[in-house]
Amino acid sequence: MLELFVAMMKEEWRVHSTMFGSLSFAMFPVMIFGIAFMGAFLVPLMHNSLPAGDLTIIIHANYLMLGIMVGGFGLLGNEIMNRRFGQASLLSYSSRSLPLSERFIFTNFVVKDTIYYFFLWVLPLGLGYILASPFTGVPLASALLLLLTLTLAFLFGLCTVFFLSAVYARSRLVLLVVITAIVAVGAALATRSGLNPVLLFPPLLLNAAFSWGNLLASLLMLAVLFGIAILLFNPESVGSEKTHKDSFAPLAKRFAFLPDPPLAAKDTLDLYRSGAMIGQMIFSFLLPLAVIWFFLSLLGPFFPPHGLLFMFAIVTGVIASTMYTWVTMFDTFGPYACLPVAVSTLITSKLTTFAVLQILPAIFIAVVALLAGETGYLVPAVVLGISVSFYAVGIMAWLSGLSPSVMVYDVKVLFTYLVLVSLAVTIFSAAVFAVPASALAAVILIIPAWYFVQKAKVRWDAVDPAGF
Amino acid sequence: MKAVIDARDLSKNYGDVKAVDHVNLHVEEGALFGLLGPNGSGKTTMIKMLTGQTRPTGGSATVLGLDVTKDPVGVRAQVGIIPEQETPPSFLTAIEYLEFVGAVRKIPEIGKKADWWFEFLDFADKKNVLCKDLSRGTRQKLMFAQAFIHEPALALIDEPLINFDPIMQDVVKDYLAGYVKHGKTIFVSTHILEVAEEICSDFAILHKGTLLHTGPVAELTSRGEHLPAYFLSLVRKDRHA
Repeated sequence: MLELFVAMMKEEWRVHSTMFGSLSFAMFPVMIFGIAFMGAFLVPLMHNSLPAGDLTIIIHANYLMLGIMVGGFGLLGNEIMNRRFGQASLLSYSSRSLPLSERFIFTNFVVKDTIYYFFLWVLPLGLGYILASPFTGVPLASALLLLLTLTLAFLFGLCTVFFLSAVYARSRLVLLVVITAIVAVGAALATRSGLNPVLLFPPLLLNAAFSWGNLLASLLMLAVLFGIAILLFNPESVGSEKTHKDSFAPLAKRFAFLPDPPLAAKDTLDLYRSGAMIGQMIFSFLLPLAVIWFFLSLLGPFFPPHGLLFMFAIVTGVIASTMYTWVTMFDTFGPYACLPVAVSTLITSKLTTFAVLQILPAIFIAVVALLAGETGYLVPAVVLGISVSFYAVGIMAWLSGLSPSVMVYDVKVLFTYLVLVSLAVTIFSAAVFAVPASALAAVILIIPAWYFVQKAKVRWDAVDPAGF
Repeated sequence: MKAVIDARDLSKNYGDVKAVDHVNLHVEEGALFGLLGPNGSGKTTMIKMLTGQTRPTGGSATVLGLDVTKDPVGVRAQVGIIPEQETPPSFLTAIEYLEFVGAVRKIPEIGKKADWWFEFLDFADKKNVLCKDLSRGTRQKLMFAQAFIHEPALALIDEPLINFDPIMQDVVKDYLAGYVKHGKTIFVSTHILEVAEEICSDFAILHKGTLLHTGPVAELTSRGEHLPAYFLSLVRKDRHA
């Protein structure tokens, strides 16, 4: 167990450091630490406008989200290893040559992912806050408790997604029943206690009043989620052959109005047949946004009128931009290298499919606007969200070409992405808070988006295509 | 005879490693040309450069008159390529992959042509199977079909027989021999010397990125020499040089 675990850790590090260089990748947690350390000094200032309890909720929500995102990355049961590693020959495949079961390897894989990403993302952020605590007046014990509960929040995100994905791999119907049951229990508890169900989140309960009993209960819940995920893990049976009737030609005909109908048809079949359309929709889009809506709704009183809807539209836009990773995660440039296809053509094609997928966030924002009774601001909110999404995806394509989900761990790429996206988010948040109608002006973001896409095409055509 | 491949001082470095070092290579129309070399000699890098998949760090090359650096997509439009390791896209079926190739290459009547290949390479029963579920040998058949389905003037194949069973190897060798009789050119890279001697009209030996020899196979056999023995002596000599 230990040998495989250590080898997998080394392997994960080498995969990342080979791609970006050891130094560039090693700087990633340092950057996260720096952001947390400096951000901690803003906490006393934020207390003036935001109660400490709400700030705690937001930070926990971020860690929960982080867990969901990291877990979501290795999702969809049977696809987990293929999706993540493609044609690379990695230890995840060692059941073929070593006397190890796939379930054993999967367990190692999940434990390794948990610890690896804890050190990569969670600990640097917590450490930044802890080391800043003597200067910010926060007692060390509180800072340490926060690190513990944030770690638990991260693990809850991770384990919940692994649990749900394991259920999903077995039966989509059972998944629907499980999610409905969770929502129903949450609603019942909220109604009974009169509390926002978010406040019943175990790490938050623990943070509010630490007790060994609460800690044990949290760990037990995590163990149950993780244990069920491992038990339900269903390695794909060797030698199975899935057949499909020919759908490519009719689809390509239907997409004749798009710039590259065959590439769009292929992307569509990839999304549909891999299960990513539904899986990613639930785990990388709806679930994170539902969590954000819950937590954001607590901040309602601190936003100007209609501010909550616009803030949510902006966040939805940023998350919707990650749909670009849905359409780029299936293939490297390799299979296209024997065809007359340039990298820039592929980028255009992937962005076209991305543009079609934007109907989903548009509908989502519209539904939220209707449910919130903000019908009058439905169109501006949709325009704002979708414009932010196109702007963010333009930056993503420029910085990462066809490998966004890999390049995100390059510290230069992530830093540039965060700065450029934050710029637009800050400007338009301020603008819509002051004048709601200015949300419509966000359409201007299409210009820098177009500029970044053009730069992306030139940039990625000029280098040898990446093999990941 | 005109040269379909003309490489001058072609070089490729990966950091400090010289994968291909100032190679001059001319392949004439109608040849079945074999690029021979041990593992890691630079054969795959040569094919990648000649098909515009990777950029040379020095020198130049034209393929069918097109500059591989300036017009890599144009080169790939004209030639057929079978990469050594690449597999067809996971979530398309075998028939859909050939239709996809046909649509990208704008090949008329792709359905009929695909059916011919399924019959010829004896895998019609797999046409509706997802590529990710195909065996290695069947994937190789599919990759072979996609490389020749548009009947290119030049096909570049990295290890043409590596995943085929002996019967299919025979079918493929016959096909390649017949293909060049129609004035087309084939460029294969291999380290299976017996196959190279059997099917190639011309050959070159690459070792540590450097070209050690180039010439017709007939010239060698007319001297009573065999390609495998000649190859081994040349490479061993170079290794000790």
